[in-house]
Amino acid sequence: MSRINRRDFMRLVGGAGAASALGVLGHVPVARGKSGGQVVVIGGGFGGATCAKYLRKADPGIAVTLVERDPRFITCPFSNLVLGGLRTMDSITHGYDALRTRHGVNVVKDEVTAIDPVGKKVTLKSGKTLKYDRLVVSPGIDFKWGAIKGYDPKAAQVMPHAWKAGPQTVLLRKQLEAMKDGGTFILATPPNPFRCPPGPYERVSMVAHYLKASKPKSKILILDNNDKFSKQGLFQKGWEELYPGMVEWVAGSKGGVVKAVDTKTMIVKGELDDHKGAVVNIIPAQTAGQLAIKAGLTNETGWCPVDPKTFESTIHPGVHVIGDSSIAGELPKSGFAANSEAKICANAIVAMFRGDSVADASYVNTCYSLLAPDYGISVAAVYRVTDKGITSVEGAGGVSPADASRGFRQDEAKYAVGWYQSITADIWA
Amino acid sequence: MKSKLLLPLLPLTAALALGAAPAAGAEISPTAAANMANNCFACHGPDGRSPGTMPSLHQLTAQNMTALLKQFKTGERPSTVMGRHAKGYSDAEIEALAEYIAGLQK
Repeated sequence: MSRINRRDFMRLVGGAGAASALGVLGHVPVARGKSGGQVVVIGGGFGGATCAKYLRKADPGIAVTLVERDPRFITCPFSNLVLGGLRTMDSITHGYDALRTRHGVNVVKDEVTAIDPVGKKVTLKSGKTLKYDRLVVSPGIDFKWGAIKGYDPKAAQVMPHAWKAGPQTVLLRKQLEAMKDGGTFILATPPNPFRCPPGPYERVSMVAHYLKASKPKSKILILDNNDKFSKQGLFQKGWEELYPGMVEWVAGSKGGVVKAVDTKTMIVKGELDDHKGAVVNIIPAQTAGQLAIKAGLTNETGWCPVDPKTFESTIHPGVHVIGDSSIAGELPKSGFAANSEAKICANAIVAMFRGDSVADASYVNTCYSLLAPDYGISVAAVYRVTDKGITSVEGAGGVSPADASRGFRQDEAKYAVGWYQSITADIWA
Repeated sequence: MKSKLLLPLLPLTAALALGAAPAAGAEISPTAAANMANNCFACHGPDGRSPGTMPSLHQLTAQNMTALLKQFKTGERPSTVMGRHAKGYSDAEIEALAEYIAGLQK
């Protein structure tokens, strides 16, 4: 028996292509006619760019303006592969030309300085004002500087966080390249909730892959804020197989919580011990993006409460918050989840403009992690809205099997790359 | 490799031979179907056109896709992750989302 692969699909298609007309007849387009409406989307990442595109796809009558500070977007997904030497920064960088030319999104390179949810307008750094009927805010995360003594934006130039992809990713990669064989790479994880729960452990894997080939006497120390982590069994099993003796994990209750750092001595102070690193990667505690905080969209948790079916803010009507900044029930803070939320949000906005009832929501998350170029694992779930909010469907989802063959891990590594190619095309192409 | 390719086709052929699956549950609106189906494109590419190593969906018929998803759901057809996804949908939902994807502009 076999898992289905691309060639299976091609054969199936070849054999059944004649029946495709049935599918066309059965199709009922979601968008009929023009409803109009002005939507401003803030942030051109996984959430914002998806929402802008899917609004236009669902209803070309809606005018969509996407405000993004940067000319291009560098994805956090696959930035760990840059650290591992598998990818270039160029290969994880995406522009907005297709959104402009192919999908008719008005992409404005500017920064939002203020949101007026009553007057329904946003003010830009350039001085311009944009009016909206509905606003979508997708600002990602920001850091709680100062949660670790001595860790501030200046310290991050010595001990990078690299938890927003870009110059920080390049800095950490350069530090790893400059590290002497036999040095210790320390990675400190943040308290929950944080962007990309399996991300720190994929990063450890990718760094281990690089060190094993280039600096095999080196060690990796994970100082974990928590006592358990995403896909833990699979990661730890994989590390034993691929990088025996290289990775040490310290749980939060066993001294993993970091209290302070000293960038001069490269010392990381835990609750029990001090650790000296050759390269230190501190992933700080996180909040919703500053813009969401400034606009009063956050509650006491530091994140944005939203309606689980529409992602409309429960604080400011007419404003939707998607992606990492939102409180999305059981959905993790991931690029995949942001993409899923954005599409539901887009269809909800279309319905609201038309005065239709909002259709049932259905969300998905799949997170692939690479442990080596030919070793992938995944976690997946399907989510629905229940009286407890966004909840994963029981009996579905879960992680890759613990006892899977190396062939299975190879397939998942291949699909991890395929996922990246697909989702970035789904958003920016 | 040959046997690997041929084996999975048998159950599908059988499913196709039975003719069209029952129509999607009337209670699933087109937008609700879109809300499920749009999630597929994160892995399978825009409108099911995969630019890379993931299988594309855009040339599959609704019946074809429905049969595959139901086989993933029961485990009759082994998979890496599709079984975990397919279990998240009722048969009627599978039919509705397959109709939606197959009906997108080619």
